[in-house]
Amino acid sequence: MRQWYTIFQKEMLENWRNFKWVWVPLVILLLSIMDPITTYYMPEILDAVGNLPEGAVFKMPTPSPVESIMMSLSQLNTLGVLVIILMSMQTITGEIKSGVSEIILVKPVSYSNYVTAKWASFILISLASLFVGLIGSWYYTNLLFGDLNFIDLLKVFAFYSLWFMFIISLSIFFNTIVKSQGIILFLTIVVVMALNLLTSVLGKYFNWSPSQLSQHIEDMLLTNHISTDLIMSAIITIAASLLLLIGSITFFQSKKIVE
Amino acid sequence: MFEGLEQINWGIIAPLIVIQLILMVIALVDWSKREVTNGPKWLWLLIIIFVTTLGPIFYFIFGRRDD
Repeated sequence: MRQWYTIFQKEMLENWRNFKWVWVPLVILLLSIMDPITTYYMPEILDAVGNLPEGAVFKMPTPSPVESIMMSLSQLNTLGVLVIILMSMQTITGEIKSGVSEIILVKPVSYSNYVTAKWASFILISLASLFVGLIGSWYYTNLLFGDLNFIDLLKVFAFYSLWFMFIISLSIFFNTIVKSQGIILFLTIVVVMALNLLTSVLGKYFNWSPSQLSQHIEDMLLTNHISTDLIMSAIITIAASLLLLIGSITFFQSKKIVE
Repeated sequence: MFEGLEQINWGIIAPLIVIQLILMVIALVDWSKREVTNGPKWLWLLIIIFVTTLGPIFYFIFGRRDD
């Protein structure tokens, strides 16, 4: 445990020194407040730059608070996920390339400690960023569109953070299989997109898939009730993340990383 | 032509600008401390300053080289 904590601290220090602790929260915050603000100003923006014909009238429905939070989540679902993958895509392969991992693993450091400490440090960054982003989104929602309960926001955070955890696990998993950063990025995005696609095409059979989480979160906000679908999705997401983590430890131990 | 934009409440927009500025400043600090970057160093300076928001982010992701 002490060994794990030492590696964890090393990771935290490294992520601080390369500014990940600063830019990832800022980018996530930017992504989550962008949509509520642009939606709010859409009529003005169209007025000013839209070159609309004289007398054109646009009726834009004002989004409800729930819709506003969901706009933030849909941004996070696409660009936010990309940021998380980009942030974590070189954590292990980068160290293999620069030789740091050799220096660490030549000592009696267990492979599982090494992988899980990295995993935990990235989870911590992404959850902190998600929290900052959601607080920003909540602030603007209350300011522009109406009240949203803070408890509801905490629920959104609790469930949506599982999706980020799944993305990190996936990225770490590919880190232990392939060596090239580009391929890690590509594979992770392909898997996430395939999952999204399968879920939307075969929604009936993939009702509990991890990418269904945000849909269930919306239902939760609208009906004010945590459905079994949401809980099952959450459980499956946690299980998948843990399986990926175990898988990455096994792959990393077998040292069969593809060039 | 820009009448509509004058009514915008800057209290709402200001945080966006502040976040972008912070990103840019941090990227510049890191840039000035670093001897080598991926690709020509002066090019990254232009990217950080002139490409809003995305410039600093790209610098952090692709420009830094961990040695």
